[in-house]
Amino acid sequence: MDNIKEKILSLASDATFDEGSLLTVTVPSAQLRAVAEYLRKEEQFDYLQDLIGMDWGESLGVIYRLFSTAKNQQAILLKTSTSDRENPELFTVSDLWESANLYEREVYDFFGIKFINHPGMRRLFLRGNWEGFPLRKDYDMSSNPLTMENQSIEEMETVTTLNMSNEGLVNSSFQLFGEKEYIVNMGPQHPATHGVLHLRVSLEGETVNKIDPHFGYIHRGIEKMCEAYTYPQMLHLADRLDYLSGTMNRHAICLCVEKALQLEVPERAQYVRTILDELTRIASHLLGWGCMCMDMGSITAFVYGMRDREKIMDIFEESGGGRLMCNYSVIGGLSKDIHPNFLKRVREFIPYMRKMLKEYHILFTENPIARGRMRDIGFLTKEQAIAYGVTGPSGRASGWMNDVRKLEPYAAYDKIKFEPMMRTEGGTFERYIVRLDEVEESLRMLEQLVDGIPEGDFCAKTKAIIKLPEGEYFQRVENARGDFGVYISSKGDKNPYRVKFRSPCMTLVSALSPITCGEKIADLVMIGASLDYVIPCIDR
Amino acid sequence: MFDFKVVTSWIDDLLRVQAGIPEFWTLAIEFVLVGVAILAAYAVLALVLIYVERKVCAFFQCRIGPNRVGKWGWLQTVADMIKILLKEIIHINKSDKFLFLVAPFFVIMGSILAFAAIPFGKGLHAIDFNIGIFYLLAVSSLGIIGILLAGWSSNNKYTLIGAMRSGAQLVSYELSAALALLTVVALSGSMQLSVIVEKQATVWNVFHGFAAIPACIAFVIYLIAGHAETNRGPFDLPEAESELTAGYHTEYSGITFGFYYLAEYMNMFIVAAIATTVFLGGWMPLHIPGWEAFNHVMDYIPSVVWFFGKAAMCVFFALWVRWTFPRLRIDQLLKFEWKILMPISLVNLLLMAFCIILF
Amino acid sequence: MKNLVNYIKAILLGIWNLLLGMKITMINFFRPKITEQYPENRGTQVMFERFRGELTMPHNANNEHKCTACGICQMNCPNGTITVISKQETDEATGKTKKVLDKYEYDLGSCIFCDLCVRSCPQDAIEWSQAFEHSVFTRSKLVEQLNHEGSKLAVKEKVTETK
Repeated sequence: MDNIKEKILSLASDATFDEGSLLTVTVPSAQLRAVAEYLRKEEQFDYLQDLIGMDWGESLGVIYRLFSTAKNQQAILLKTSTSDRENPELFTVSDLWESANLYEREVYDFFGIKFINHPGMRRLFLRGNWEGFPLRKDYDMSSNPLTMENQSIEEMETVTTLNMSNEGLVNSSFQLFGEKEYIVNMGPQHPATHGVLHLRVSLEGETVNKIDPHFGYIHRGIEKMCEAYTYPQMLHLADRLDYLSGTMNRHAICLCVEKALQLEVPERAQYVRTILDELTRIASHLLGWGCMCMDMGSITAFVYGMRDREKIMDIFEESGGGRLMCNYSVIGGLSKDIHPNFLKRVREFIPYMRKMLKEYHILFTENPIARGRMRDIGFLTKEQAIAYGVTGPSGRASGWMNDVRKLEPYAAYDKIKFEPMMRTEGGTFERYIVRLDEVEESLRMLEQLVDGIPEGDFCAKTKAIIKLPEGEYFQRVENARGDFGVYISSKGDKNPYRVKFRSPCMTLVSALSPITCGEKIADLVMIGASLDYVIPCIDR
Repeated sequence: MFDFKVVTSWIDDLLRVQAGIPEFWTLAIEFVLVGVAILAAYAVLALVLIYVERKVCAFFQCRIGPNRVGKWGWLQTVADMIKILLKEIIHINKSDKFLFLVAPFFVIMGSILAFAAIPFGKGLHAIDFNIGIFYLLAVSSLGIIGILLAGWSSNNKYTLIGAMRSGAQLVSYELSAALALLTVVALSGSMQLSVIVEKQATVWNVFHGFAAIPACIAFVIYLIAGHAETNRGPFDLPEAESELTAGYHTEYSGITFGFYYLAEYMNMFIVAAIATTVFLGGWMPLHIPGWEAFNHVMDYIPSVVWFFGKAAMCVFFALWVRWTFPRLRIDQLLKFEWKILMPISLVNLLLMAFCIILF
Repeated sequence: MKNLVNYIKAILLGIWNLLLGMKITMINFFRPKITEQYPENRGTQVMFERFRGELTMPHNANNEHKCTACGICQMNCPNGTITVISKQETDEATGKTKKVLDKYEYDLGSCIFCDLCVRSCPQDAIEWSQAFEHSVFTRSKLVEQLNHEGSKLAVKEKVTETK
């Protein structure tokens, strides 16, 4: 670490360091580019986990959260800011980390920071004619009355870029698709988009040439809402991000707040939370499996997946009181103790699911039509997976060990034995099979958890009004789709100053374009299903 | 066994002799009667099939299926038909209006024409051409014109892709279907459906001594190719809902959509009916040479029951396949035809020729 | 020749695997069906007791509830679902004025069932019922008054014990 510091000081003499739990480097905006290049190329910080836009009041800025997959998950936090609030400009890092492409568009959308040399600077979630930048602290909430006017597609696809050339900064704009391209709309209302994702697909016959995703059809401004909420109130929004791994997202926020409060969570609560997480993972993978089968035309498999998922929903409903929005974890533990039937039901579910899993394999995995369709398409290399930030089962299918449960164990994950499911080829079939393998592994974990669950308290005592000490808090968990991160910046109030959720789905969608171009349009749907993204998680 | 000729000749006699209507008018009345009967049978059968498909599909998926309208939901399809008749036909602004309206008629005409030529029972056969098989193949590919027109005239990108897929698919699978039927034509020595059925009086084609081997292979190939022609799963790419919303009939509504819907189900039945007629002995009862008593008992079951029973089996098999398998991709579909089905069909035809010459 | 054998082998293996898949669907054809016959099973269907269907305020036999109109639930509610309207009432015996509940309004239309109100209530005055048939014809009907007409605060048993 010390030589990194020295090197950064030689590149940016004004850099300041803050060594807490992880090294935080603050560099002036002029030297950001040099430091980022150094970290990426020489120190192999190849995984940009999150890129957080910030409004510190007098200055706007960006926080880069970097990990090095080669160097045993070494992490570093890079901060930069600009005091120009009228026309903030920073250099892009999207050529160093591909995942930064969408992240920077998001920061532009919410904070108005323009990134120089970014290949396609335009809004990500909001309409092109949106007034102001909503996550800035001085944003006027009444500046955008509800309009019912349509935005023309040409306007949406006009890309402006800000390039650094010899004559200084040059603004230019171009149209994303040519006039003669055969463009098919997939979504936002379409049977196969798994939510309101709008893909503009340029076709050559049946072959996909270019994909441009449009987000924002279900954008609710959850991060902005969180700034007005107290910490317990924030929790219910977590269920509504990625609704298929709601309990995990909720778990992440609880862990983050508990870490900030240095609250000791009873062991029983930790075990129950882990059981819930794994049940949610199974439920989510079952739905993902079913949807993927349905996208290939096998509707029966979808119904089977939903049928077995129902058993998990019943377990949730009995103990938590809700099915999809379980609302079970709270800050400090659980909202109520588990139902007397809980363990019995989970114990019954494990052998049932094993039997059904065998049927799934015979019905679909071994089916020559299904195999033929999944084989040899949609390859994502390990390097691509890291660069695009494709985490979770999809990343593990490419051979990238990114399981947060192993890397940064939380709750009861360090008390049980399990192996992250890995494949190396990174094709569609591998992504498919990793999910089913994970279901099996989760069942094995559930067996250990159910047997090891201790008696005792289910919730730690918290104050009536929870105030976080001033500071920045990170927490990541492994949700069903990958690395879900929570960032809370607190100024000591009962409301957070800024909340950012790292959505694993957004990076999944960004990887859709490089792996699908050149394949058939029927495969686009299937590759999308194999990545298994959930739109409300992207749109937040 | 009851011969339906008794009924038909009684009507003929009634009109011609007893009522004394001239030859021309007798024929005209008879044509109208036959036409009405066929149309009525077509519509009723389609409704029954839609109901059966929904129920069978539900059972495969651990569901109950329609159960609200009438006992066990048996009136559901009737209600759906009334709904579809009452719905507005939406005209698309930038479509080719004439072709857009004409397209569904091509589809339904093709399937009605094929339906009319099928022998349903002893003496229950409307048109008995001496080139019956040839006629069936010809009219059943009439539907593709309708599908291509629909795809083109809708002026929609999904429909166009769907129609193009359908065109490629039909042209390819027509070959295998024809070759499979040709093996039986070689065995029976005739293209006339009534002759093919009569030849199976003692033993069905699929049990026909050594010729049973090529006949069975041809039967399976015909079922596969036939269902590929009717655009049903796992060959439902032209209307692959996961990428093309509803394929070539995305823009249709009301009864124009209803025509596609009816035609799809009836084409499924027609494929089953042709397979029954050509391979499973049509309306002939199951006879096992040497088992006189058994054969005698079998003769008591009406011919219509035999025909529809066999066809129902084929239909159930088609539904079973459809609700089990995922959909193929267009290149796999064509590869499957040209690299697997076609060579096998050709070899099979050769095998059948050897069987006929040697045994 | 070897290619031909492999070709035929692949086809046969493919057919075998397809048939195995068809066996699975056929097994499921005869399995018990999972559909819930909903309106018919109304009488027999039991919801889980923790299911959050609708917020209610239980009243005892004397038409008394436990709500002291403190407003903590309203404060905790993330989207303004609960409105507690209180009034000042003078106790005739002692002459003291105190805050009592006038109307407890609950908007089912905007409730997200997050459980914060029930968990935060110091008096346990509100709880969830398992009713789930919420559909009405106009949105205004979703706004409910939870305290009954003419109800009043129950005298705490604890208080009588200490006396």
